[in-house]
Amino acid sequence: MGRLQEYEVIGRHLPTETDPTPKLYRLHIFAPNVVVAKSRYWYFMKQLRKVKKSTGEIVSLKVISEKRPTKVKNFGIWIRYDSRSGTHNMYKEYRDLSRTAAVESLYQDMAARHRARFRSIHILKVVELEKSDDVRRQYIKQLLTPGLKFPLPHRVIKSKKIFSPSRPSTFY
Amino acid sequence: MSEEFTTVNGSAWRHVEVGRVILINKGDYAGKLAAIVEIIDHKRVLIDGPVSGVPRQALPLAQATLTPIVIKLPRGARTGTTAKKWAEAGVDEIWAKSAWAQKIKNREIRWGLTDFERFQVLILKKQRRYEVKKTLAKAKRSA
Amino acid sequence: MSAVTKEIGGANNGGKRVIPANKASKWYPAEDIPTPKKARKTPRPAVLRASLKPGAVLIILAGRFRGKRVVLLKALEDGTLLITGPFKVNGVPLRRVNPAYVIATSTIVPVDSVDVSKFTSAYFAQEKKSKKEGEAEFFGDEEKKQKKVISEVRITDQKAIDTALLAEIKKVPALKAYLGSSFSLSKGDKPHLMKF
Repeated sequence: MGRLQEYEVIGRHLPTETDPTPKLYRLHIFAPNVVVAKSRYWYFMKQLRKVKKSTGEIVSLKVISEKRPTKVKNFGIWIRYDSRSGTHNMYKEYRDLSRTAAVESLYQDMAARHRARFRSIHILKVVELEKSDDVRRQYIKQLLTPGLKFPLPHRVIKSKKIFSPSRPSTFY
Repeated sequence: MSEEFTTVNGSAWRHVEVGRVILINKGDYAGKLAAIVEIIDHKRVLIDGPVSGVPRQALPLAQATLTPIVIKLPRGARTGTTAKKWAEAGVDEIWAKSAWAQKIKNREIRWGLTDFERFQVLILKKQRRYEVKKTLAKAKRSA
Repeated sequence: MSAVTKEIGGANNGGKRVIPANKASKWYPAEDIPTPKKARKTPRPAVLRASLKPGAVLIILAGRFRGKRVVLLKALEDGTLLITGPFKVNGVPLRRVNPAYVIATSTIVPVDSVDVSKFTSAYFAQEKKSKKEGEAEFFGDEEKKQKKVISEVRITDQKAIDTALLAEIKKVPALKAYLGSSFSLSKGDKPHLMKF
């Protein structure tokens, strides 16, 4: 899984005699490329409506790019996740510059904490939390304190040498 | 002992904070200064260096060194404001005067010397060493 | 095969006869005679690096004079470089060197005033030794023991060049000492990153 992108995929059931103008369905999908985006679209559509790839078509597919990629935002992400013993819903918060970056760190986070794979996570909703009151998680709240500052007390400066006569100073 | 008071000073750490000027030490903008505009999390910050030619971007703190310079900035200040405050605080002048910047500059000059210039440096160093040793010997003798 | 018509004497011989111009040999040679290969290419004149300008101070990398800093006088027509120490400064005589074994520095000694027109590759050509025969050649130790005598012409030429060059070298402070010193790498030196 490379760097993710957000795709807007629109598709529908193929027109039939009984229904010459089938309804269009739009999904926002986070995927590394177009192929995966289309595949995920049909994966979700099969679950939601009685449409599948052989009886449907994709009408449009476009990349959604971040509107303000240099503004720090807080995102709330709702997910559904299949663990080894069951299915869970989750709500997590991330602080990042873009929706895709937040979703990327979500996948990394889920992989780290729950050994969850890409295939076992459904992203239900990604919402930007505009008001700081909407932030629920303490780990994001702590970053919103006014006048936040902290030192970097312990840093290991990497030396290019293999051997050194003195121990590295981590004081910074 | 009971009469004496000890004054406890807070640690003089340089803090990661909005307005802190950092030196980038890795990547395309290595060696350039930028200001912290907002803290993303405890490992990453949003930086901006309109005067030094660093575009606004997220930077891991592992790729930055904190300088003692702090400018007054509102949180999430835009590029124009940052440039203005940067110039007002005179960051470039303060930096150029600092021993740290001088050291970097000297290192770069030494790197760029030609073979003949390196030889001239060698001779000058030799002369300096000679003078130092001479005066030291004289001082020792008189002492 | 071209043919020749020849007049034939005798009344009954028809007067003329056509015979081949070049008669084929009656036998093949018993051993193959090697024929020298024909050169189809002509050597192009050597193109030197842009940094090898006349007057440039060079660092010699190989041979007896490795590490020496010398002055490039001119490029010879055989693709080598004419250099000198000058001899008086660091003991490197007028000499030809291969440009591959040389680092050119950015320091330049003006050599317009030095006359180098007489130096060609022919000037440096070695005299052919007359081969002695048999035992005289084999046991000819006496000749080896004799010290090689440097010709008067070479000595005077060297002196003339040295005086002209030294006049230029003395104009720049520390340049004479620079040419007298030799180049070496010390710990931590990265020659690929160094400027010369």
